[in-house]
Amino acid sequence: MERLASIPGLPPILACAGLLATWEIAARLLAIDGLPPASAALAQVPAILGDPEALLNIAASLRRMAVGFALGVAFAVPIGLMMGRSQYVAAFFNPLLMIIYPVPKAALMPIIMLWLGVGDASKTLVIFLGVTLPVIYHSYQGARAVEERMLWSAAAMGMGPLARLTHIVLPAALPEILVGCRTGLVLALITMVTSEMITRQTGVGNILFNSLDMAQYDTVYAMIVIIGGLGFALDAAFEALRSRLVRWAEPSHDLVVGTT
Amino acid sequence: MTRSDRSVGTLIGIIPIALIIGVWQAIAASGLAPPSLLPAPAAVFARLVQQLGSPAYLDHVATTLFRLFTGFAIAVVIGVTIGLAATGSRAVEGVVRPLVRVLAPVPKIALYPAFILTLGFENASKIALVVADAAFPILLATHQGTSAVEPKLAWSARAAGTSPLLCLVTVVLPAALPSVLTGCRIALVISCIVVFLAEMITSTDGLGHLLVRASRSFQTIDTISLLGLLLNVGFNALRARLLIGFPEER
Repeated sequence: MERLASIPGLPPILACAGLLATWEIAARLLAIDGLPPASAALAQVPAILGDPEALLNIAASLRRMAVGFALGVAFAVPIGLMMGRSQYVAAFFNPLLMIIYPVPKAALMPIIMLWLGVGDASKTLVIFLGVTLPVIYHSYQGARAVEERMLWSAAAMGMGPLARLTHIVLPAALPEILVGCRTGLVLALITMVTSEMITRQTGVGNILFNSLDMAQYDTVYAMIVIIGGLGFALDAAFEALRSRLVRWAEPSHDLVVGTT
Repeated sequence: MTRSDRSVGTLIGIIPIALIIGVWQAIAASGLAPPSLLPAPAAVFARLVQQLGSPAYLDHVATTLFRLFTGFAIAVVIGVTIGLAATGSRAVEGVVRPLVRVLAPVPKIALYPAFILTLGFENASKIALVVADAAFPILLATHQGTSAVEPKLAWSARAAGTSPLLCLVTVVLPAALPSVLTGCRIALVISCIVVFLAEMITSTDGLGHLLVRASRSFQTIDTISLLGLLLNVGFNALRARLLIGFPEER
């Protein structure tokens, strides 16, 4: 057991195999229309990935997600850092964030669509909103925990407030910020799928629900597998990047969970 | 923070909210945006008060709350049980850890079609989605919290003759309560969000359905916001009661 678990990448693969086997057995035992066996769904995956139109849809989804994520991080990190360093900035933003937090960002979709149309702009904006909150929160926590003495030393050596923020607070808070970015990435994926489910125009969520409407259940499950794989791959890639960037810091949480 | 500091903080906190409502009012009043796109805030709040008095609206609220709490309760039971079992036994941890590693980053909303197909369009599929989304934070928080419990506590209980299972439930779980409750709080917000999404996508009742139907006016959004705030305040009060005796956390 211990030896097996020490091979990198093996436990998740075993977990996947176990899940697929359970699914296959359950589908064969229950034998209902709505739950095709895993083998039938997996057989559809190459067909979807080989279809240029579906690939185009997936690429469009990923592009929106990347843009929304990048804008969200660029916007949220400075706000979070300032909140962490100044009590007044924190008091200014905290109640506002508390009110916005429980609102599902995708619920704003109908209103945003009225203002910006059904195109890329509204979907990117929703993803941006979804990414911003966790990144602000974690940057805030990270900046608050910075060692005061380092800031005093820098101030004593004549460093200005802005330089202190970018040269000391930012690197010191980086591990925590990256935890926030990881949550944000999972969230961006969730918001992306949800916004496409609601607008039903292009993208991954659209393929998923269109095939549900057309009763192509194999395709529905194949899309679920693809989206799940996408989530896992993005998370693993970000984790690899994170451990390279902040090799000095121990990961504080080894798993993160997103909110929608 | 002293008392006067805190009231100054509250005052500062009101500024951005007041500012947003002010700008909203100004845009609505100036006629830049037609009222159908952006109604005045006063109209929206009047509408909210009026709706909170109507039985049909409260019916929708009750439906949403029923789904929310059923799903949340199931998620708490599942999450705490599995999290505790993973701490208690290495074999369980060996199975649970890779499964969570694979399943946690998957957007659960993508599973919704599968739930619709297997469980139908009614309450069951929405509750299942809430459980799928809310169980993970509780599971992780329980596992992380119980793993960090001072081992001497458990050793003393064992030395006094407590069985491993009883020790886990009566000593380790209460000691890890702050962490478990943090997980529950995150899960509550997630449940709240997921219920609305599920209702927005396919439903004939509940707040999410109202939101899609009435997306032109803002009334449902502020109910959702209000509901979220109330849940948060309620949960904090409950948490403060449950955690009497624990050192104050920041």
